[in-house]
Amino acid sequence: MLLSLAQSALPIGISGIEKRFGAVSILSDLSLDVAAGEFLTLLGPSGSGKTTLLMILAGFVRANAGSIKVGGEEIITMPPHKRNIGMVFQNYALFPHMNVFHNIAFPLKQRHVSAAETAERVERALDLVQLKGLGERRVDQLSGGQRQRVALARAIVFEPRIVLMDEPLSALDKSLREHMQIELRNLHRRLGMTTVYVTHDQREAITMSDRIAVMNAGRIEQIDQPEVLYARPQTKFVAGFIGESSFVPVESRNGSVWYEDRKLRMTTTAPSAGRHLMVVRPEKLRLVADADEAGGVNLLPATVGDVIYQGDSFVCYATLRDGRQVTLRDYCRSDVLAKLPAPGEPITLGIDAQDVVLVADQ
Amino acid sequence: MSLASASLDHASRRDGALNGDALNADARREARGMLALLSPGLFLVFAVIIVPIGWLFWLSLFDESGQLSAANYARFFEQASYIKTFVTTFKVAFTVTGACILLGYPLAYMLSQLPRRAASICLIFVVLPFWTSVLVRTYAWLVILQRKGLVNTWLMDLGVISQPLPLANNFAGVVIGMTHIMLPFLVLPLYASMKTIDVDCLRAGMNLGASPAATFRQIFFPLSLPGLASGVVIVFVLCLGFFVTPALMGGGKVIMWAMRMEQTTSLYSNWGAGAALGVVLLGVTLALLGLFHWLLGARATGVWSRR
Amino acid sequence: MTKRLCINGLALAGLLASAAVPASAADTITVASWGGTYQEAQTKAFFDPTAKELGITIKQDTTNGLDDVRLQVTGNAVKWDITELGADECARGSKEGLFEKLDYSVIDKTGINPKLVHDDWVGISYTSVVLIYRTDVFGDKGPKTWADFWNVEKFPGRRALSGSQATETLSVAALAKGIPIDKVYPVDIDGALQSVDKVKGHIDAWWTSGAQAMQLVKDGEVDMASIWNGRAGTLKKSGAPVSFSFDQGVLTADCMVIPKGSKNKDLAMKALAKFVSPDLQANLPLYVDNGPANEKAFETGKIPPERIKDINSAPDNVKKQVLQDPAFWRDTLVEATEKFNNLIQQ
Repeated sequence: MLLSLAQSALPIGISGIEKRFGAVSILSDLSLDVAAGEFLTLLGPSGSGKTTLLMILAGFVRANAGSIKVGGEEIITMPPHKRNIGMVFQNYALFPHMNVFHNIAFPLKQRHVSAAETAERVERALDLVQLKGLGERRVDQLSGGQRQRVALARAIVFEPRIVLMDEPLSALDKSLREHMQIELRNLHRRLGMTTVYVTHDQREAITMSDRIAVMNAGRIEQIDQPEVLYARPQTKFVAGFIGESSFVPVESRNGSVWYEDRKLRMTTTAPSAGRHLMVVRPEKLRLVADADEAGGVNLLPATVGDVIYQGDSFVCYATLRDGRQVTLRDYCRSDVLAKLPAPGEPITLGIDAQDVVLVADQ
Repeated sequence: MSLASASLDHASRRDGALNGDALNADARREARGMLALLSPGLFLVFAVIIVPIGWLFWLSLFDESGQLSAANYARFFEQASYIKTFVTTFKVAFTVTGACILLGYPLAYMLSQLPRRAASICLIFVVLPFWTSVLVRTYAWLVILQRKGLVNTWLMDLGVISQPLPLANNFAGVVIGMTHIMLPFLVLPLYASMKTIDVDCLRAGMNLGASPAATFRQIFFPLSLPGLASGVVIVFVLCLGFFVTPALMGGGKVIMWAMRMEQTTSLYSNWGAGAALGVVLLGVTLALLGLFHWLLGARATGVWSRR
Repeated sequence: MTKRLCINGLALAGLLASAAVPASAADTITVASWGGTYQEAQTKAFFDPTAKELGITIKQDTTNGLDDVRLQVTGNAVKWDITELGADECARGSKEGLFEKLDYSVIDKTGINPKLVHDDWVGISYTSVVLIYRTDVFGDKGPKTWADFWNVEKFPGRRALSGSQATETLSVAALAKGIPIDKVYPVDIDGALQSVDKVKGHIDAWWTSGAQAMQLVKDGEVDMASIWNGRAGTLKKSGAPVSFSFDQGVLTADCMVIPKGSKNKDLAMKALAKFVSPDLQANLPLYVDNGPANEKAFETGKIPPERIKDINSAPDNVKKQVLQDPAFWRDTLVEATEKFNNLIQQ
């Protein structure tokens, strides 16, 4: 029965959400579509409005304007207890006066499910989150990870149309967090429920999501699959928030893009005329011999600032001619190690044409 | 490493090995030091609580001629008035506690839901009566509730009633006056416990399909029970030993245990007569506290206390 | 360190003792009474003139009654040299041996009712329990006798009796049954209790203090009540619409005793002799409605004739009242009070 969630998963259509607290605008004209069965993450720094959006979805915060449709049905004016949305809270919000069984049975009790069926479904939910046999435990006898699993079981046992998760792993230590990320991902693959997940941890978002909506100051900056988001960030904010980036100023004129006096080789068409920024990821840069200006590689002359050896890899901090800092990371292959530059040495950095990504300079 | 720790274990188990004596002596010295620090408190408890209670109990065993006897306790069964007083005392305590719950729970709930600033202002009003003596407050109630008092005058002027309501000098008067005095003792612990209830628990309740009323019933109310229980215990125990308000508001018809103690002390020439009343009250109060603890403490607080 | 503390402590105690001795030496006694306007009147009538005549200092304190004396005597901490008590308390305290013997070669007992002259206690003044009613309710046709008070058909209205003074209420209850004033004592306790039982359903308050009795009548909480004549007089003087008389009053005596173990027994004896002397006794009615215990006070000529009718122990008023018998209550109080308490409790 629990495994039938995939069939009942519904798409969410969010449009025109406005939320103000007094004069402060938290969300402005926010629209977002979540496909049925999708795992979508709202990623952003604190204060970006991601939690507020989640609270509006759950019905705990009332928006000033907008529409939320679940499978075509408008729910924005529906009270939280009628929305049929499962939620996992940041601090788990388990009921301390109930044992594990009764916590998980709570949503079934509200839906007047028979005792026999309740017992069966709770048992299956416990099994699903690998807590078989812990039903009689008191909440305060559980470890952090176990509580997390109980909260999860409680949020899915009643087969909600949507599951919301508000930074559910932030209270766990690093190794447990990474373990739970994979477990959550697998659980989602098995059950296929439409999931909206909130986090400020970009690595977590990339690991788990089908798509990520990067939020900043109450707006969605970009919404894409993790690999697209990483490879083709559309704004400086996204490029800076996801992965490491250095920014190199470039100029677009007459249909081509120029870095200082060099015309950039690139695989995309040049953007509108004006100043832009080239997004330079550390692993996309490499050291090239000065003469080697073969096809498809853009060359950036620079001076070595510092080289840091990290065992499997090294990091080289370099300064471009205009004084900008860029970072290069590469694996310690013997051929690379052989020509590792010394601090103060002039070098040439190369970036392939297909790795050139430009964002607007704001 | 395992070898090293094993040999260390071995050494520490053997007296005299590797500073063993010195460490043991140090531990004993520390224990003595702690006891010395505790001793003023222990002495105070012994001198101010244990000794007088023991003396009270000792006194209660002697009759008027100074002979060891159970006369002081036998009196409770020989004289019907003691049983009556006992029943009255519990009737008052139960009624007042009930009234305090009915008034105090909604009040504490309202306070807990108010914004912090508004709540602290309202709390001042809850605590304000503590600044006035019980005697003054009781007399004020007498002025308000008596036959020609404010309430009856207003109600009669408004034509709501044609005969004054009997609100003072009877059971109702005692309950009203005592409820007013006891209310803060219930509201304060209850409010404190309501403030600790995680708002996310209530959100979770609603999210999982419980209506606001069901969320209150199944989550908020059970989580507020420890606070309610401590408030109830405080109020009930204070009620059992209350004197001033029943003496003034009861019109001499509502005799509570403490009033009977006063009567008995002046009526009998031996302290034992009054002391026996004190011993009985103390015993009953302790028994009740044990019962409360069993009912609410052992079964519930265990789950609630550690969160 | 410990030793030094001890020595210092001893020195301090010695210092305190040497400082305290001259002040509490043979020229100072402490007298305790009921406080309030009554004790103020006693101060002017008895204490100040005595202090002046004997050249001593009289310190004052207030008492709650017999249990205070009991506490001091049984606890070997007697603070008072003379204290006032109700006559029945004196009789009981005497039985318990709480008082010093009085020396009637120092104290002149002439003029004091023999029932109030005992080995270790002597009468000092009288209080009457009287029937008061509100004239705004009854006009001048209010209840005049205790039988009227008991007659709830003829005199409907709210009533209060004393709940703390079983002796007084039982005397009144006996009168309500129609027993003539000279036949009330010895009180038929069971009969009196039956009489109380008849009226108790109509009693709206059983008062426990004089102030409470006064408040009940003053605020109109009750329409009629038993009340002490001093309180009744104060109410009437303050303009409250009330009426009372000494008819069928219950005259109860107050007495004075020297608690056993008094440190200034001889001086206290001399002071007590002054307090009961006709000359100082005649001062009391000048300040308060409580009458003197010594009849000879009325022969001193100090009391203005128009004042005499208001004084409860004036010979004409005494005839209208029952004199409470302390010796009777000494032996019956505990049992009677327990039964009475049982009866009036809801």
